[in-house]
Amino acid sequence: MPREDSPSTLRLLDVDDSTGDDTPTTVVAGESFPFLMNPEAVEVLPLNFDVSLAVGGLPKFECSLSPNTREARLLNDSPWVRGLGSLEMRVQTEGWKFPTPPIDLPPRPVLDKKPAEELIPTDEVVPDLPDPVPVPPKKPPVRSKPAGDTVLFKDRLLYLLQPPIDHLIGCKSVGVPFEPFPYQLEGIAFLMPRHSALLADEMGLGKTAQVILAIRLLIQAGMVRKVLIVCPKPLVYNWVRELKLWASDLPNEIFAGDTELRRATWFVSNCPVKITNYELLTRDAEFLSDDRASFDLVVLDEAQRIKNHDSRTAQIVRSIKRSRSWAMSGTPIENRPEDLINIFGFVDPGRVPRDTPSKRIPQLTADCILRRTKDDVQSDMPPKFLRDLPLELTPPQREAYDLAEKEGVIRLNDLGETISVQHVFQLVMRLKQICNFDPVTGSSVKMEQLLADMEEVAANGRKAIVFSQWVEPLEVLAKALAPYGPMQFHGKIPSPQRPAIIDQFKSDPTKHVILMSYGTGSVGLNLQFTNYVFLFDRWWNPAIEDQAINRAHRVGQKHPVTVTRFLAENTIEGRIADVLNAKRKIFNDLLEQNGPPPSLGLSEDEIFGLFDIKARPKKNGDSEAKAA
Amino acid sequence: MTELKLPSSIHLGFLTVFPEGAGFLGGYLVTNSWGRPVEFRLSTAVQPNKVQQILYGHTLTEYLCAELIGKTLVEKTATPVQLLVTDNLSVLPIRTRLDIPTILVRSEDGVSESGLDVPMIRLDHQRSSLPLWWREDHRADDELIRAILDRVDPALELTEPFTRIREAMTEARKMGATSRAA
Repeated sequence: MPREDSPSTLRLLDVDDSTGDDTPTTVVAGESFPFLMNPEAVEVLPLNFDVSLAVGGLPKFECSLSPNTREARLLNDSPWVRGLGSLEMRVQTEGWKFPTPPIDLPPRPVLDKKPAEELIPTDEVVPDLPDPVPVPPKKPPVRSKPAGDTVLFKDRLLYLLQPPIDHLIGCKSVGVPFEPFPYQLEGIAFLMPRHSALLADEMGLGKTAQVILAIRLLIQAGMVRKVLIVCPKPLVYNWVRELKLWASDLPNEIFAGDTELRRATWFVSNCPVKITNYELLTRDAEFLSDDRASFDLVVLDEAQRIKNHDSRTAQIVRSIKRSRSWAMSGTPIENRPEDLINIFGFVDPGRVPRDTPSKRIPQLTADCILRRTKDDVQSDMPPKFLRDLPLELTPPQREAYDLAEKEGVIRLNDLGETISVQHVFQLVMRLKQICNFDPVTGSSVKMEQLLADMEEVAANGRKAIVFSQWVEPLEVLAKALAPYGPMQFHGKIPSPQRPAIIDQFKSDPTKHVILMSYGTGSVGLNLQFTNYVFLFDRWWNPAIEDQAINRAHRVGQKHPVTVTRFLAENTIEGRIADVLNAKRKIFNDLLEQNGPPPSLGLSEDEIFGLFDIKARPKKNGDSEAKAA
Repeated sequence: MTELKLPSSIHLGFLTVFPEGAGFLGGYLVTNSWGRPVEFRLSTAVQPNKVQQILYGHTLTEYLCAELIGKTLVEKTATPVQLLVTDNLSVLPIRTRLDIPTILVRSEDGVSESGLDVPMIRLDHQRSSLPLWWREDHRADDELIRAILDRVDPALELTEPFTRIREAMTEARKMGATSRAA
């Protein structure tokens, strides 16, 4: 049925695109279709327009339509043009200022001005030289790179933008007595960007020179202003000498005198480089809590001195306020892997937790350690000949030795469960002393051999070092070696006198031999003008022996070095040597990432194993021989 | 800048601009006379659009290198320099915009192959493994340039700092610094 109210109305659904409204719009047929209203225009047909469209039955969309619209520029908008965009170009910049170098010396005068330094018109032909000099291949420059843990972009930039080390060394500002070796330049490039570093080069490769040059470059670049060097007491003057040699423009000051004087050095002095020793540092512990006692860089020489984590020295060293921590040691692992962990307690606290498994240590420390051996870097260095010289004890020595050992073993066995490693140790020391000299007659096969060897050394105009564990044998030897101008350098010689002794030994051609104790002379000294080293008796640890030997076999040595290790046959010395030799070969394993040795010194079992004794102490935990 | 009176400590500015994708990127390193870094500045990459390319035509590269990037970098840097050194020929016209003697370090082939029709002055100097160049119309700088070069420490080789700048810009790109330059 047609609807009465609107018989010709179409009800359309229109979508208003401006509002989104779906309100129905009514269109009247007569308005939209005018011809329908003019009866003359068309023939009237009996059509019934009563049409009704029903929407209800049609399928519906699941959701209501919501069309989107956008404005469109119509073609009749005038003018019809596209924008050109900005005609102006813009640039943004970002900049960084770096620490100002504290000094700026005028450049060296140019002595050899080339005649080629002339203006040449570009159209003029320059003839080739008739016989050009061959140019040696150019070495790649040695550059410092930011360390892995340098995270700030500005800090990374600072290192990336530094001039090559090899360009700086030798310029006016960084004059050096002689050109460092390439591996030393690499060492400097390693140290400079690092806030935590362990320079663990083998003894004799010039660690001190590398550290001094790195300090010098950092100070000149304005990156470091206050440096503290901590070293063993006997090496203080050695540092002063080396500083004078490699950084004569750097003032340095030694901590010395009474408490008030030292207080002034800690708090008042503006000297850029200060040097103290471990013993004095311990006495000055109270000053370290003061904020004025803070440093941009602290260098620990012979850093194995802090291998015992809980020692007072280690605790005090770790308490020094500092931005950068460098350690130096040719033997960072003297006994066990924990030595290295404890050194890292200073180098980078927290990097290597104390309970870190040994196998993980190389992974954690690799970025901070630089270790080179002579084999790695110095293929052209003169060779080192090791001569193990087995000697038969003199009859009085043999008699005294056999008796002492026999009685000693009996006494040890009598001790039963009360025996301790110290008891065994006392016997070992007693026997070693007999191997040096017979206590009654003073007879000594080693001294006889040494006198014979020294004759040859002196005849060739060479110099020798003799090492012993004790001072007393050295004093006896000094008398026997009188024809060879012996000099003594051991614990009984006051520290201030020691530099003069070294200087005289070096310069006086009549002084052919210096007698040193391992404790005083095995570290830090540069004796590369000597070509013979005699180990009169053996130390407990191969690392210490190596240090002693490397006083002579080091950078700057021009001739082969002969090392003679005296060994009394069929004695305790031979048995100790066997144990130590077996261990020596694994000494570098940890640093070479092949897994650490459990210990480098003699363990308790190994000390007991030196004798045929059945007695053993009651076990109560680890008891490695401390002296070893 | 015609007086020969130089300050007690001189500074050198090493300026380079090089293509980066479809645009250009600039780096500027100020050093003392030994080559130690004093200040460093880098630019964002500038990428001209089509219209700019058409408008500037063959002057576009010079405008970008010397005027837009080069001059901006020098002017925004706090440390004044006595000599500008560049390794890009298109930066050399910066001399007409700044009162700082400017030299180019480049091989002879590099200059001749550029097709530059401006007469150039060449100087072979101990401080550079490559010849030094500047434009003939800045001949008045001769004396000053030579005086400054004599003050440069022999440890500094004038081509070397550009290696440092490029390494620093590579690092900047890795760390996203060029996109946030402001």
